[in-house]
Amino acid sequence: MNQVFDLVMLALLIAMALAVARSKDLVAAAIIFSGYGLVMCLLWQHRGAPDVAMTEAAIGAGVTTILVLLAIGRTCRREK
Amino acid sequence: MRKSLVAITIAAAAVPMLIGIAGLPRPGDPSAAVHTHVAAHYIAQGAHETGADNLVTGVLLNYRAFDTFGEVMIIFAALAAVMAVLPRGATGLPGGGAAPRIPISPIVAFIIRLTAPFIAAFGAFVIFKGHVSPGGGFQGGVILGALLMMLSLVLGRGLDRPLIPARSARWLQAAAPLAFFVVGMLGLALTGAVLGYPAEPGRELLRELMMLFLEIGIGVGGGAIILGLFLETRGE
Repeated sequence: MNQVFDLVMLALLIAMALAVARSKDLVAAAIIFSGYGLVMCLLWQHRGAPDVAMTEAAIGAGVTTILVLLAIGRTCRREK
Repeated sequence: MRKSLVAITIAAAAVPMLIGIAGLPRPGDPSAAVHTHVAAHYIAQGAHETGADNLVTGVLLNYRAFDTFGEVMIIFAALAAVMAVLPRGATGLPGGGAAPRIPISPIVAFIIRLTAPFIAAFGAFVIFKGHVSPGGGFQGGVILGALLMMLSLVLGRGLDRPLIPARSARWLQAAAPLAFFVVGMLGLALTGAVLGYPAEPGRELLRELMMLFLEIGIGVGGGAIILGLFLETRGE
């Protein structure tokens, strides 16, 4: 059961990483990256690292997304 | 041509990495080198030696305090770099001018005002309980920082009249390095080593207070730096 959870999460991570890299819409990429942080947080928690999981949830899924969105707001939304 | 070059470069980077990973011991293998050297000592003696029931905090603030000092300096330097690089009030768009402001929805504003005190209490709890439960200065600081970001959406009035006045914001952003300086010098005076903690029995309270001071410094500094990054990047 533990193994299955890890494998599903890892598969999700790879799929999200590819989606971020392939997306031409940078706002969509930023939101998917936020989801990546959330899945990473679940994985940390499941692997017994709650300290890292808390940091990942707050920074990876929260603050980073907002900073990236702000940066997109100051530049250009679509990748050329 | 270019695609095959990319593939070759990736393969050249990936093969040594995968070989290295294959050579690592199995996760959780008790005979692995990491579990037989310092880690075994930390797990056996950490709670007693550092006074922190949460071993992660014990390692962060006691055994590896110098590394943590480096981390807070990196975060501080990141904010300094953003401040130095990003011009105020300008955008990368041709033609310049700030992006059009969208007024915040009353529903969002209400929810932010409603949840703010609870988030603040949670952030403070995570900072203060960091030595017994998961959490600590970094985690609590980020929670406080996220709260300040949300509040500056509702209450903030741009860089000219920010949530925290610029004069005190400078000191708050430097809180973590300053806390390390104070505790480091205190350790030097008490034990003869920078960032040393008094270990003899009877002075556990002093040691606990020093670690708590570091946690608060890291938390307040981290929160202020995240707010600073947010305001500078928003750049209005």
